Amino acid sequence: MAQGRRIKSPEGNPFERGKQVRFQFEGRSLQGYDHEPLAVALMAAGVRVFGRSLKYHRPRGPVCLHGHCSGCLMRVNGVANIRTCETPCRSGMVVERQTGWPSAGLDFFRAVDLLSGERLDHHGMFTASSVLNRIAGYVVRKLSGLGAPPTADPQTPVPISRFSSDAVVIGAGAAGLSAAKTLSGCGHNVVLLEAEEHRGGRLLDGATQNGWERIRDFKEEIESVAGIEIHVKTPALAVYPGDTLQVVAGNEGKTFWISARRLIVCTGTYEQIPLFENNDLPGIFGPRAMDRLVCGYSVVPAEPVLVVGERDATLRLAGRLRELNVTLAGVVTTRTEGDALTSLKRKNVEIFQDRRIVRALGGKWLDRVELAHRSSEQSDLVLDCRACVVEAPPAPAYELAHHAGCRVSFSSQSGYLVQVNDEGQTTHGQIFAAGHIAGSDSVDAAAQSGERAGLACALSLKDDAQVRRRLESMQKG
Amino acid sequence: MRDRAELVIIGGGIVGLSLAYQLARMGMTDVVVLEQGYLCFGASGRNGGGVRQQWSTEENILLAKQSVRMFRQLSREIGHNIWFRQGGYLFLARNAETAAALEKTVKLQNRMGVGTRIISPAAAARLVAGLHTEGIEACSYNSSDGVLFPWPAVWGMASVARQLGVQINTHTRVTGIDVKGREVVKVVTDRGAVATRRVVNAAGAWSWQIARMAGVELPNKPYRHEILVTEPLKPFLEPMLSDLSNGMYFSQTMRGEILGGISDPDEPSSMETGSSFRFLARMCSSMIRLLPRLSRVKILRQWAGYYDETPDGQPILGRVEPLDGFIQLNGFGGHGFMLAPAIGKIAAEWILRKVDHRIFHTYALSRFKHGETRKENFVIG
Amino acid sequence: MGRTIVCRCEDVTVEDLNQAFSEGYRDLESLKRYTGFSTGFCQGKCCTAHAARFLSALKGGDDTVADPIRTRPLLHPTPASHFARAVELLDEESK
Repeated sequence: MAQGRRIKSPEGNPFERGKQVRFQFEGRSLQGYDHEPLAVALMAAGVRVFGRSLKYHRPRGPVCLHGHCSGCLMRVNGVANIRTCETPCRSGMVVERQTGWPSAGLDFFRAVDLLSGERLDHHGMFTASSVLNRIAGYVVRKLSGLGAPPTADPQTPVPISRFSSDAVVIGAGAAGLSAAKTLSGCGHNVVLLEAEEHRGGRLLDGATQNGWERIRDFKEEIESVAGIEIHVKTPALAVYPGDTLQVVAGNEGKTFWISARRLIVCTGTYEQIPLFENNDLPGIFGPRAMDRLVCGYSVVPAEPVLVVGERDATLRLAGRLRELNVTLAGVVTTRTEGDALTSLKRKNVEIFQDRRIVRALGGKWLDRVELAHRSSEQSDLVLDCRACVVEAPPAPAYELAHHAGCRVSFSSQSGYLVQVNDEGQTTHGQIFAAGHIAGSDSVDAAAQSGERAGLACALSLKDDAQVRRRLESMQKG
Repeated sequence: MRDRAELVIIGGGIVGLSLAYQLARMGMTDVVVLEQGYLCFGASGRNGGGVRQQWSTEENILLAKQSVRMFRQLSREIGHNIWFRQGGYLFLARNAETAAALEKTVKLQNRMGVGTRIISPAAAARLVAGLHTEGIEACSYNSSDGVLFPWPAVWGMASVARQLGVQINTHTRVTGIDVKGREVVKVVTDRGAVATRRVVNAAGAWSWQIARMAGVELPNKPYRHEILVTEPLKPFLEPMLSDLSNGMYFSQTMRGEILGGISDPDEPSSMETGSSFRFLARMCSSMIRLLPRLSRVKILRQWAGYYDETPDGQPILGRVEPLDGFIQLNGFGGHGFMLAPAIGKIAAEWILRKVDHRIFHTYALSRFKHGETRKENFVIG
Repeated sequence: MGRTIVCRCEDVTVEDLNQAFSEGYRDLESLKRYTGFSTGFCQGKCCTAHAARFLSALKGGDDTVADPIRTRPLLHPTPASHFARAVELLDEESK
């Protein structure tokens, strides 16, 4: 089994590893670190197939590394469907794969994928006779389900913390941190909810210039102002509309039920994988996932790495990987100019211009990628690579705002964006939105929109001439 | 859209489509179905897919028994797999009064040829591993009740009806019904009008609004009913469980999800379909109490649909005074889906071949005027 | 078998979307129900935008056809034990 490679953690990395711990994986004892997600330790140990998909039993592995997708689900300590990318290694943990027969690694039901042709129509399936239909129902039921029901002891109901707040800010990225800081600076009490263990959002990405320093600055600033209550590893789960908004959030040991006079939603985006043949093959990651793996967690899952993309951030990531001595198979881009591209050329990274990815190939893990000319469907170049970073337009995380009744609009370019006015106010008077879900396209723009929404939100809570002047001067600037 | 039809069905839910499907199979295809949203937009796309024969009135037992027989054949008939799984239904009574009522209905069901049994809480625990039986007085169990996927039943019936010549118009909202004297003449929609002499009101939660367009007052009121679904797990629960003390029910779908809901006596009548934290909390608390191993099972999603409720919990079927061609098939509360195959068949035979059936008398709207109601005691959720 | 996967949770492919569209399921809510995208463990975080773009493209680049499907709680799968005790608070508040 080819192992992932651990590299030295760069200076200033917020994702520091703790002490070594050992955990059980399907009868083997593996090594990880305190604070390191299980998924990362598993990849470092060479585990590539984390599970199988439900219908075609195709191999699945971690994709987003940010707790959004279903690629890294495993059974942990007797509980099914645990996202291993957000579950830290702990000594003595028992970790197993849960799909596939006899195992996720070698799954005979993969035959379904290989034999079923272009598509398997589950609506018309087994309808030829009523007897066959009942037998098939019995068999299919045995095969259904992601994991076995929990064998761990029943959990005592988790305590609930119920309170009111002037404002709740969801998401501690550049926008959310700015909004919370601004609001509390205006004298309002604020609850800031962050799903991840670390604050920062995109600022945590190694490819974001000065991101890590800016997080430190934010941390100092936020800790210096009174009135912000921060909960990390506490994702907001729902916003129920009502006379006052009801925000429900939860972490491992506690559920929060908050009546909020105002809400600022700064939930950012979900990274997407573009559509091409076999785009679900393990080894294919979005730029932010690869960034988190290599720059943050200091694990290179496989090499050589091919990077496909147009955005500055993606090209900068390629440069970062090169600096960290990760073997690159090259960079595929339609870009012809820009500092990020020049810098890659200076680092002797091979650039494949005017091409796009049409197909990924491999058995249980990526082997190679076929590229075609921009204007053609036929592939004319095959590149060997064991990991591929490929960029797609991200999908804004608009759901919470939508639960609460805010209007959302779609465009093919940006996906679903929460509709806001110049001040970041949504169509729901008590809810504001800032950052990438409201259309910001950079961390700087996100931070600015967070500040603006923070000021407008503060004003809507209490009129204040000074705050109004600040907001006006921001609008002019 | 056709501008005239022999029959117009308002409502593309399971009741309207079951009728259209049966009519088409019997040869009547000059039928237009009007659906305001997409197929599965209303309660037919939002329910838990439970199918049971454990009812407290003869009519409902009869309809349910026939529907179970029909559901067993439906996947083949419509070429869409509805994944009907007869894992049984287990009702739980927590006090002596409910236990006595259970016993009475089981006797009635047995008389009608439905093999429900009263079983002890200990026997129930053998059917459901980990069932917390403390406080349970008695249970009734019928092994041929079951659960199915509602959506493919809707799509399949629509698809066959269309192939046979019925026109089903989705995203078409009825805005008026023109009446002349005792006759219906036209149904007006936001996409044009259809001239017709006969209209079926199978609009579920919207039935009272539709009826009013023709000058008929129905006593039906829509109520929100919420429901949730968990992560899909390997099969571990055979029957549908239903706690009669609070109207909670849940089962495991063919995909492996736990899916269920709970009654809320404080829910006001409304056209609301939003989700509430109150429901989530009450449902989680109640399901963990009954089956503690669900405590670690993850909730994936909650949603809501409607019960189209009448004062006695029974549907409104057949003709209404003073209109001749305005037929009601509504007021099914939470059990329209499970009775729809039989209702569609019986109504089609009645409309096309004038075969009368007792349900058009027992469940006529006029019963409320004459005070001849008999309440259904087993409306759950 | 080479497949272009739109929804990794439920193995929904581009062919599935095409087939559903050709069978007449031409709004996002219907496409979702008929193909199953957005109904899996991630609840649509990795596929909804793809499906919306697909529908918009099939309808000649008309972005207005892709009104969002109705989003529902929860945003992340969460054990039932995390909500059960809210019942005590609901009872207190209703008093």
